Amino acid sequence: MNFIKKIIPMRDFTLKSLMTFEKTPLNILMFILTVGLLGAFGWGVVEYLMHSHEAYNVTRQHPWGLLIAMYIFFVVSSTGLCIVGSLGDVFGFKDYMAMSKRAILGSIVTILAGFAVIAFEIGHPITMLIYNVLSPGLTSAIWWMGTLYGIYLTFMIIEFIFLMRNDMKNARIFGLTGLLVGLAAHSNLGGVFGFLNARTISNGVFYPTYFILTAFITGIYLTYLMYGFRYKMNFPEEIKKGLIGLAKIQTLLLAILMFFETWKMMTGIYGGMPGRADVVEHILHSGGFVYGEVLCGMLIPFIIMLTTKWKSLNLYVYASFIGMIGIFFMRYDLVHDTQVKPLQMMKITEYQLPPKWIEYFPSAAEFAIGFGAIGIFFMLYYFGQKMFDLDGGDH
Amino acid sequence: MARYGMALDYKNCINCKACEVACKEENGVELGAEKHRIWVGGNNPEGAWPLLDMASASFLPSQCQQCEDAPCEEVCPTHATYYDENGVVRVDADKCILCSYCMNACPYDARYVDERTMTIDKCTFCSDTRLARGEMTTACQATCPTKVRTFGDLDDPESEISELLRTRDHFSLKAHLGTKPKLFYLT
Repeated sequence: MNFIKKIIPMRDFTLKSLMTFEKTPLNILMFILTVGLLGAFGWGVVEYLMHSHEAYNVTRQHPWGLLIAMYIFFVVSSTGLCIVGSLGDVFGFKDYMAMSKRAILGSIVTILAGFAVIAFEIGHPITMLIYNVLSPGLTSAIWWMGTLYGIYLTFMIIEFIFLMRNDMKNARIFGLTGLLVGLAAHSNLGGVFGFLNARTISNGVFYPTYFILTAFITGIYLTYLMYGFRYKMNFPEEIKKGLIGLAKIQTLLLAILMFFETWKMMTGIYGGMPGRADVVEHILHSGGFVYGEVLCGMLIPFIIMLTTKWKSLNLYVYASFIGMIGIFFMRYDLVHDTQVKPLQMMKITEYQLPPKWIEYFPSAAEFAIGFGAIGIFFMLYYFGQKMFDLDGGDH
Repeated sequence: MARYGMALDYKNCINCKACEVACKEENGVELGAEKHRIWVGGNNPEGAWPLLDMASASFLPSQCQQCEDAPCEEVCPTHATYYDENGVVRVDADKCILCSYCMNACPYDARYVDERTMTIDKCTFCSDTRLARGEMTTACQATCPTKVRTFGDLDDPESEISELLRTRDHFSLKAHLGTKPKLFYLT
């Protein structure tokens, strides 16, 4: 342990102190929630190990489901927290200096939760590790995304070590490199969808840029949630300044996102191009888009922040919770909407009608693993808080 | 070394689905409606009973288009999908990580999960079976009662497929995507 402490400063802790927490109603609720989610994750993994992909409701026509959406949810969160963390220690904005440690720890634990999900979606994760190196598919966005995220995680961990050592010079170097690699990885994740020529709804430049924009938005939502929980809504002055600044940035980002989305839908529907316009219409009539993405993800937080003129920080914590529900729907919908239009429009078995839309609803195992990974995030973040002093950081 | 392709005189198709059965039998494809390397697509006849226009009910046999610029090959992160020496798009089961990206990238819905090998399977023009035994027809071609399919070497000017493509008009599916399919539908 002393050897590790020489590398990264840590608090003194025992197994008992790690397991002990103040018994407030919120803490107890979080404890029960975390244990429940971890239990669900474990059950989902057992289901997967016993039944393989048969445990999931993915099909030939809809091969990507909730687990891909949740993987994206976590890695978007990670990139977003990395951006928020970089505002202080990389770009030198003083108001955000105090947030760097917590945000970078958040970015590490969210991507670990994402990796936990994708490990049970990819059929052969060990083969992936071997042949990603031995036989790299350089024309594949998935190869670039996976490889860059691996490098990104390494840089984030090194940056966190330097932050904890208060070595700001090296933290800045690794933070900037990690941020650039993270942005490249994240836009490649958008490219995974953007490169699909056969899926006109996703094909093009939109997703690689949209992913970066929504990552920043997600990072700010999560920063609010983490600080709301940390300080139980009694924010100290040095944090308040940063949070007010983040609320202003968030309002601007949400406005840009709504502008982007409006034009995506308008260009998609214009001219009635088959395979694109009908899919856009389908999306516009879906509850997930209207109530999830638009209302929860964008409009409600935007209106709350704009009308309260960036002063009601406590309210923004609740707005951020609503926003994160919207972010989940953004991830789920982009995966589902990409595949919702059948590629094979003729009927191929008798006694059926030609397919119109591909139906998909996640199985219990998919829900258990996908949402259960939120428990992994809670657990790792809790241990991180206990082990490291994340509050001192106003350098 | 050849460049294998297939011409389909699809208007002769009677939707007997013998090709689907022969493919499953020859290549050991799993049972089940979702597990198929080849298929016959169909339209319901237009009109309402009893005035149905039976001539409007057309059938379109299809399978992997063996594209020269195959999106499934481009997106594969480990080169599990590759072109063999005859230009046939194949899958190396040892390298496949089952990420399903190829399933999403294929514009023809030609790939599916083989639950036994846990890889993404597809039509191989019977490369592992009939071609490996030295035969020069695919199972779907050999069984077709109306001679819809003609398989052969596109680089051989004397082959039957080359002759057909020289003398008959033909089209490819989703040609605008630039995938350069090697399945040709004769008109």
